Amino acid sequence: MDPQPEPVSYICGDCGQDNILKSGDVIQCRECGYRILYKKRTRRSNSFYSLVFSSSSSDFN
Amino acid sequence: MVVKEDDSVLLNDILANGLGINKQTLAAPVKNTVEKFQLVPEFLKVRGLVKQHLDSFNYFVRTQIKKIIQANDIITAKNDPSIYLRYEDVRIGEPSVTIDGVTEKLTPHMCRLSDITYAAPIYVNIEYSTGHGSTKMIQKKKDVIIGRMPIMLRSCFCILYGKDEEELAKYGECPLDPGGYFIIKGTEKVILIQEQLSKNRIIIDTDKKACVQASVTSSTEATKSKTVIRMEKGKIYLYLNQFSTKVPIMVVMKAMGMESDQEVVQMVGRDPRYSELLLPSIEDCSKEDVYTQHQALAFLEKKVKGSQYGTAVDKEGRALGIVRDIFLANIPVNQNNFRPKCIYVAVMLRRMMEAILNKDAVDDKDYVGNKRLELSGQLLSLLFEDLFKTMNEDVQKNIDMILSKPSRSSRFDISQHILKESITHGLERTLSTGNWNVKRFRMHRKGMTQVVARLSYIATLGYMTKITPQFEKSRKVSGPRALQPSQWGMMCPCDTPEGEACGLVKNLALMTHVTTDEDEIPLISLCYSLGVDDLELLSAEELHMPNSYLIVLNGFILGKHRRPHIFSNVMRKLRRAGKIGEFVSIFVNEKQRCVYIASDGGRVCRPLVIADSGVSRIKEHHMKELRDGVRTFDTFLKEGLIEYLDVNEENNALIALYEDNAKEGTTHIEIEPFTILGVCAGLIPYPHHNQSPRNTYQCAMGKQAMGNIAYNQLCRMDTLIYLLVYPQRPLLTTRTIELVNYDKLGAGQNATVAVMSYSGYDIEDAIVMNKSSLDRGFGRCIVMKKMSAVSQKYSNGTSDRIIRPEGGGPQNQILDDDGLASPGQIIRPNDIYINKQSPKDTRTPVTSPVLPDSAYTQSKQTYKGPEGETPVVDRVSLCSDRDNNICIKFMIRHTRRPEVGDKFSSRHGQKGVCGTIVQQEDFPFSERGICPDLIMNPHGFPSRMTVGKMIELLGGKAGVSCGRFHYGSAFGEPSGHADKVDAISETLVKHGFSYNGKDLIYSGITGEPLQAYIFMGPIYYQKLKHMVLDKMHARGNGPRVMMTRQPTEGRSRNGGLRVGEMERDCLIAYGASMLIYERLMISSDPFEVQVCRKCGLLGYYHYKLKTGICSTCKNGENMSTMKLPYACKLLFQELQSMNIIPRLKLTEA
Repeated sequence: MDPQPEPVSYICGDCGQDNILKSGDVIQCRECGYRILYKKRTRRSNSFYSLVFSSSSSDFN
Repeated sequence: MVVKEDDSVLLNDILANGLGINKQTLAAPVKNTVEKFQLVPEFLKVRGLVKQHLDSFNYFVRTQIKKIIQANDIITAKNDPSIYLRYEDVRIGEPSVTIDGVTEKLTPHMCRLSDITYAAPIYVNIEYSTGHGSTKMIQKKKDVIIGRMPIMLRSCFCILYGKDEEELAKYGECPLDPGGYFIIKGTEKVILIQEQLSKNRIIIDTDKKACVQASVTSSTEATKSKTVIRMEKGKIYLYLNQFSTKVPIMVVMKAMGMESDQEVVQMVGRDPRYSELLLPSIEDCSKEDVYTQHQALAFLEKKVKGSQYGTAVDKEGRALGIVRDIFLANIPVNQNNFRPKCIYVAVMLRRMMEAILNKDAVDDKDYVGNKRLELSGQLLSLLFEDLFKTMNEDVQKNIDMILSKPSRSSRFDISQHILKESITHGLERTLSTGNWNVKRFRMHRKGMTQVVARLSYIATLGYMTKITPQFEKSRKVSGPRALQPSQWGMMCPCDTPEGEACGLVKNLALMTHVTTDEDEIPLISLCYSLGVDDLELLSAEELHMPNSYLIVLNGFILGKHRRPHIFSNVMRKLRRAGKIGEFVSIFVNEKQRCVYIASDGGRVCRPLVIADSGVSRIKEHHMKELRDGVRTFDTFLKEGLIEYLDVNEENNALIALYEDNAKEGTTHIEIEPFTILGVCAGLIPYPHHNQSPRNTYQCAMGKQAMGNIAYNQLCRMDTLIYLLVYPQRPLLTTRTIELVNYDKLGAGQNATVAVMSYSGYDIEDAIVMNKSSLDRGFGRCIVMKKMSAVSQKYSNGTSDRIIRPEGGGPQNQILDDDGLASPGQIIRPNDIYINKQSPKDTRTPVTSPVLPDSAYTQSKQTYKGPEGETPVVDRVSLCSDRDNNICIKFMIRHTRRPEVGDKFSSRHGQKGVCGTIVQQEDFPFSERGICPDLIMNPHGFPSRMTVGKMIELLGGKAGVSCGRFHYGSAFGEPSGHADKVDAISETLVKHGFSYNGKDLIYSGITGEPLQAYIFMGPIYYQKLKHMVLDKMHARGNGPRVMMTRQPTEGRSRNGGLRVGEMERDCLIAYGASMLIYERLMISSDPFEVQVCRKCGLLGYYHYKLKTGICSTCKNGENMSTMKLPYACKLLFQELQSMNIIPRLKLTEA
């Protein structure tokens, strides 16, 4: 297993600053000290087509 | 102020004519009625929708808490009285939290998101002594924290207090949120308003045996007791818990020093009818040979409960103590002066006798004036007092223990021993469970708090106005459930649940205010200076003289007044002038010949316009000033134009509904009639045209409608949120809708409805829906669910870890490198959303927190949802909880379009499910090409009589054609807050529609015009939270319960569908025995048993011998094999375990 996973950055709920958390870190924004962080939206493409054509069962009526 | 044109005209007029000449015209009643509606929004601006909660809480944190601390301000060591701690002052700080020694300010939204309590520290200033022996020093400390007080949102200590919309938005708070609740560990909790009988008042009623009784529930700071005086078989007795049996009342009178029977008779009143009723009781007393106080006390001593133990010293005065302190505890006895208490008893007796002679004098327990509403402030103050006293006792115990130790090494500092946790935890626990267990006040109540449901904005508001009763629920009497005439304007006549709690749970009306306690002492001195004769100075004879009334303040008899009407008028004038509190009520009871003055908390009252002999005090210029913003509601109050009346005082007033109806004797005029309804009923357009239960149904359903919850709805992390995708503002609004901001946070859409029959899928209230409307977004909703996970830290130093997924299995699809699902990903059943691992060993301490991979087990969490949905991970938030564990929350969003079976409702209690969805091509359409969104069956109207819905349709149709929102406020036609049908019809005609709202419609299937004109137009429809997707359920094979081997129960456990008793009965009646056999056994829990034909008991199958063996007969001779439901076998075994032997008798079949 990869010992050092790529860091994932999180957005501060107050100031919007990117924060990188490591395991064991306290959850707190480095800029403003706000204690709630949000995950960023996925960067994988999740287009409408993949949704329609990958699952044939989709029913859009 | 700038003199406006009208004013200048008036000014010139006055200048020209002089002031004296115009008197007649000035005194003449105003012809046109003054539009007073503007007062309602002004009232709500000042008081708000949940003002009663806020007022009560503010009173508690500002005043009551200081009183509590003052009353219990000193802790002294038992052995050394020079060691003490005195609380000097108390205050509550800003809401904050201390994490790792750092204190941070809290915002309510932060608390909701990170599951913490919105609480503020309670600071006290203390004075205490330090040091040893003779070298004692007195020290002072300021701002010592003794605990944390949960803060009600929008109260005076909340950070949101007095903030404007922009600032609220900055805090992430919805400006329309009413506040009035608490945030405990992240959940919003509201303390429900409790309704109870008023304390410290005489209530005359009859018991089960129709005996007349007078009862007083006394409640003072020191004691609480209930005193009942009952007339039984002509004799009057006292019932008190402290006495083992009933006690003749005359004995009690004698025990209080009222030895002369004549004086008692005089006190009760010399009317021979009263003396006659009293005579048996006097005889009863003399039969017991009780003539003096001493004898009476000796007699009572025998009746005292538990008189076996107790020291001889206090035995002397035990009966006296009870009579003094517990019997009618609300009447204080100063220096053994029992006279006020004697008079009080005499008044009780007199009222009882009045009730015996005249049945009308019996009090109505359901009368709102006899009730008090207990609000959060009062409940919290009880709780806080208990916790504070407990804390002080614990501190005392602690220091006594330390001081009793012979050698103490360190310097003793009493201030170090203040415990912080007990108050904090006590408050938090009570608020989150809702169980008020206050031993000190003998209070054990459950369900006092409820979670504020955020189903819709209206549901949230509804929680703040809900009133729950305190007495037992399941009584079958109709009295408490019936609508009380005295509820008028105070409690909503419509908004009550159906079923069990019907009529018991009520809701406040729009303009209701609930009072808080007010100081009595200035009132008492005022009364005396206004000519009230002190009770002390009156002889018994004088008590009930004709032409004089007793003056009763909060249930305590102050004295009597010879000119009660003048007295009450003066008091009222003083109130209007603002010299005494605005909520003090003065009530002259002619029947009881009493003037009741009330300043206690928990009374419901409402504002009314004062009128002088039928002429309203509010004139047009007042309202103009209000519109111009020069005047506020409070100025109206201060200038004596408006006053608050409570339920009792309303009986002294003649209130005109409209200014036109005012007559000579009219004292008050209603502000607006629609304010008799509450928040929920206020949403209904034209409710006064509906059958009353329909409005009640809508009140229940309005709380289930999906819509906007708050402006911050997308930032919230609730367990379940229902949202409508395109909520609309109702075309037909009411004034209440605007006042409560329903137009800003609506919960429904304006659907064009055709009232006609279409297909067969619209029977029984089903609705036919237009498929294209659904495509356009009608009724589309979002369901968001929260899933949370905690990365736990364990006591041995190890902790859970969230790691990057290994390999790209299909389950790991939506995970990021941090092992958490990423927002925006479609999540399917069995997808992992958190790749968590837990250490195998969480007990034994480890040296380093980093463990090898082998020491962890998988504890990943997977999404369990129905197949076929495509929910999306909406948001993922990370925060630390109170134990510093990482808490991760996932919001899963699912957008749904309406489908067959989803529940919809109009605002008139007309609910229905979607019966079928039809292509727009097949839908009927009008000449103009208007195609309805849904079709409703006309059979819904005749029996329901919801005429309001029809007018809504008309008004809505006129509204869309002329581009103006029409109004349908309750009882609004005379005052112009509801458009009249005539006017609406005119508008319709002007825009080319028929006056009656019917259109020529073409069939969508054949293209021919329909034979009848169709009633068609927009009606506001609500989508209710009950959706098929959450309910549909079917099962072939599935899980079974271990013990009975029968299918599990319930959809969540993938349970079976039960053929119940009634279904079974049908099958029996039909004779379908094989079907019963199949359903109840073969498809359920078949089981093969060995039965012994001889003893009839169950045996077992011996696999080696290949025969059944009876374990009782110890042989296999008479064994038969048969099938039984496993549950039947279980029953036999359970019966056997109870020493009951069921034996089977077999016959050939």
